[in-house]
Amino acid sequence: MMTRLLHIRFWLPLLIVAGTLVLAPLFRSAQPPLQSYALALLLCCTAAISVYLFAVIAQPEKF
Amino acid sequence: MPTSTRVLFPRMPRGPRQERRYLERPRQQGLLQRAIVEAFRKLDPRLAVANPVMFVVWCGTVLCLALTIEPRLLDAAAGARDRSFNALISLTLLATLLFANFAEALAEGRGKAQADALRRTQARTQARRQLPDGSIDLVDSSALRRGDVVLVQGGDVIPADGEVIAGVASVDESAITGESAPVLKEAGSDVAGSVTGGTRILSDQLTLRISADPGKGFIDRMIALVEGAERSKTPNEIALTVLLAVLTQVFLIAVATLSPVAGFLQKPPSVVTLVALLVALIPTTIGGLLSAIGIAGMDRVAQFNVIATSGRAVEACGDVNTLVLDKTGTITLGNRLAEEFLPVGGYSSAELAVVAYGASCFDQTPEGRSIVRLAEKLGAALPFEPASASGIDFSARTRMSGSDSPDGIEFRKGAVDAIKGFVRSRGGVVPDQLDQCFEQVSRLGGTPLAVCRGAEVYGVIYLKDIIKPGIRERFDQLRRMGIRTVMLTGDNPITAGVIAREAGVDDFIAEATPEDKIAVIQQEQKLGKLVAMTGDGSNDAPALAQANVGVAMNSGTQAAKEAANMVDLDSDPTKLIDIVTIGKQLLITRGALTTFSIANDIAKYFAILPALFAGVGLQALNVMRLASPQSAILSAMVFNALIIPALVPLALKGVKFRPLSAEQLLRRNLLVYGAGGVVAPFIGIKLIDLAIGALRLI
Repeated sequence: MMTRLLHIRFWLPLLIVAGTLVLAPLFRSAQPPLQSYALALLLCCTAAISVYLFAVIAQPEKF
Repeated sequence: MPTSTRVLFPRMPRGPRQERRYLERPRQQGLLQRAIVEAFRKLDPRLAVANPVMFVVWCGTVLCLALTIEPRLLDAAAGARDRSFNALISLTLLATLLFANFAEALAEGRGKAQADALRRTQARTQARRQLPDGSIDLVDSSALRRGDVVLVQGGDVIPADGEVIAGVASVDESAITGESAPVLKEAGSDVAGSVTGGTRILSDQLTLRISADPGKGFIDRMIALVEGAERSKTPNEIALTVLLAVLTQVFLIAVATLSPVAGFLQKPPSVVTLVALLVALIPTTIGGLLSAIGIAGMDRVAQFNVIATSGRAVEACGDVNTLVLDKTGTITLGNRLAEEFLPVGGYSSAELAVVAYGASCFDQTPEGRSIVRLAEKLGAALPFEPASASGIDFSARTRMSGSDSPDGIEFRKGAVDAIKGFVRSRGGVVPDQLDQCFEQVSRLGGTPLAVCRGAEVYGVIYLKDIIKPGIRERFDQLRRMGIRTVMLTGDNPITAGVIAREAGVDDFIAEATPEDKIAVIQQEQKLGKLVAMTGDGSNDAPALAQANVGVAMNSGTQAAKEAANMVDLDSDPTKLIDIVTIGKQLLITRGALTTFSIANDIAKYFAILPALFAGVGLQALNVMRLASPQSAILSAMVFNALIIPALVPLALKGVKFRPLSAEQLLRRNLLVYGAGGVVAPFIGIKLIDLAIGALRLI
C-alpha cells in the first residue's frame, strides 16, 4: 500500500485534479465554466510536463 | 551429411547495391510488418514517457485530438471550421509519433531477428556424457553441467560450450559466424581449443569438457546482449538526451508564455497553433531518431559478426585514440613459415635440421609444423622415439618450447635471448655467429628462432612473416583520424622495427610479455586516451579487461571472451579497425542528425510565427510567401513529420564514413547537415504548401 502511495502514477493525477480545482476559479471571470476548467487543466498539465522535463534533465539515465 | 550454411550475420555491405540490399533486408525478413505493429504499440504513454521530446509531441497530439472532438473545449468562440484544421494537425502529429516509433522499432527489430535466429541454433540435442568409470551415458543437452566430459563425433551438434581436451576435428561454425568454411579444433591450443554449443562437428571425434551450465552459454549470453543492448543508454546518448530535454523545456516555457503576451495584442493564437509551434521548435527529428541511431550502431557491429556487450562499448570505439594490435594475425598473416636453417658453431644445416626437428616434434602450432616439414624436406629424421619423450610447451615467460628425449637431452627452440640464457644456465658457450644470424634474419623482417641441444647452440631458424596486403593504407587512414597504432610483438626489437616500418604503425613494443600489454594500455589511459585492443588467449584477459574496448576472438578462450566487451565471431583481429570505424560512424551520424534537426528550426520558425501573428503586421516574416496562416502551420507540421521517415535510412545505415580529423569532420558536417538543415525545410515547406493549396485541404 505504501509503495502504491509513493508511486507517481498514484499522486500525479491527484495533484493535477487538485490544481485544476484550485486554478479554475481564476479563469471564471473571462470564461464559461467548461472552458475555465479546461484551461486550468491545460495549465496544470503544462506544469507537469515541465516538471517531467526537469526530472529528465536531472536524472537522464532513468529515462 | 547435411551442414548448416545459414547466415545469421551477413557481412557489411561494401558497395551501393549491397547497401541497398542491406536496407531492404528488413522487408525481406518481415521486419517491416513487425515494426509497423510496434510503432502503434509504442504509442502507449508508459513507453512514450522514455523519450522526452516525443512525449511532449504525444501530449500535444492528445490535446489536439481533444480539440478535434470538441473545438470549443478551450475557446467558446471556436467553430466547426476549426475542427477540420485541428483534425489535420492531430493526424500530422500522430504521424510524427508513429514515424519516430517506426524508426526505433525497425532498428530494434533487427536485433530481435538476430536473437530469434540465434535461439533457433539452440535446439536440444542428445549428448554422450562420459562417466568417471569411462562408460558413456546418453543424456539430454540440457542436463549437462559445467565440468562434464562429453564425446562428440562427426555429424553431431555440439551440445554445449566446452574446451577440447582430446582429439582433432573440423567444426562447422556457420550457425553462429555465417562462415561456411569448417574450422579445425584441437586439444591444447589456446585459439582453437574451445567450441560453441549449437555448432556442428563435421568429421572425426572430440572429447570436450563443458565450460558453461545450461542457459549460461555463449549463445545465451549473445541473445541477452542482442536483445538487451538497446535498453541501457550510452554516455553520449545521455548527454544528448539532456540537451534535447533542455531545448524542449526552453521552448515549452516560451510557447506557454506566448499566449498571455499575444493577449495584449488582442490576437490570442489558438491552442492548436501553439502546439504546432512547440512541436516545430523542439528537436523532434533527432528526438525521434536518437534511439534508432544507437540501436542501428549495435546492429552494424553485429553485421560485422561482432557481438558487443553494450552500446557503450560500440560508442567507446568512436572515441578510441590508441589501437594496441598484436603483430601476428593482425598486421602479418597468422602463419609464419620456416624458410631457412642458418647453422652456427660449425654445425651443418642437416645437423641443425635434426635438432630443430627434435625441438618441434611436439609443437602443433603452424610454425612448429612448418619447421618439421622443412626439416623433413632436408632429409632430417627425429633423433629420439617420440612416444618416450616429453614435450615442453611454449610460454610467454620462458619464450621457448621443445622436448626432452628419453636419455635426458633437452632440445629447445625459442627467442634468441631466451636460448642464450638457457645455454649459459647449462654451462654452454654462445657462439658470436648467433648474433650475426639473428641480425641477418631480423633485418629481413623475419623472426629468428634459436635452436639448441642441451648446452650447445646449433643455429637459427628463419621464420618468414608476411605483412597483410592493404594494412599500411588502413593505418594511414587511422592516422588521419588521429588514432595512434601500437604494435605488440614477442619478436626482437630489430624484427619488430622492420615490420613496424613496413606496416606503417606509429609505435611498437618488442619482446612483449602479457604484463607489457597491460602496462602500455595503462600508460595510454593515464594520458587520457581511450585504448582498444584484441586478444584471444587467457593471458590476454587482463589486458582485454583493462582496455576501453577489448575485442576477444570467438576462437579464443572463455576467459578472454568474458574479459572483453566485444566478441568477434569470425576471429579476425584486423576487424578491430572496422569496429573503430563503426563507432566513429555512430557518433558522426548522431552529430550530423542533431545538427540537421536544430538547423531545421529556422525555416519552421519563419513558417509558423508569421501565421501565429497574421493579424498584427508580421507578414514581412512570411519569407516563403505561404498561402495562408493555416496552410503555413500545416505545411510545417507535415514537413516535420515526413523528415523523420526520410532520414530513417540514414539513421540506420549511418552517415558515410570518411577518414578525416575531428576539425575537418566538424567543418564538413556543419556545411552539409547545418546548411542543408537550413535550406531543405524552406524548399520542403514551400512545396507542401503548394500541394495543400492544390489539394484544397484548407
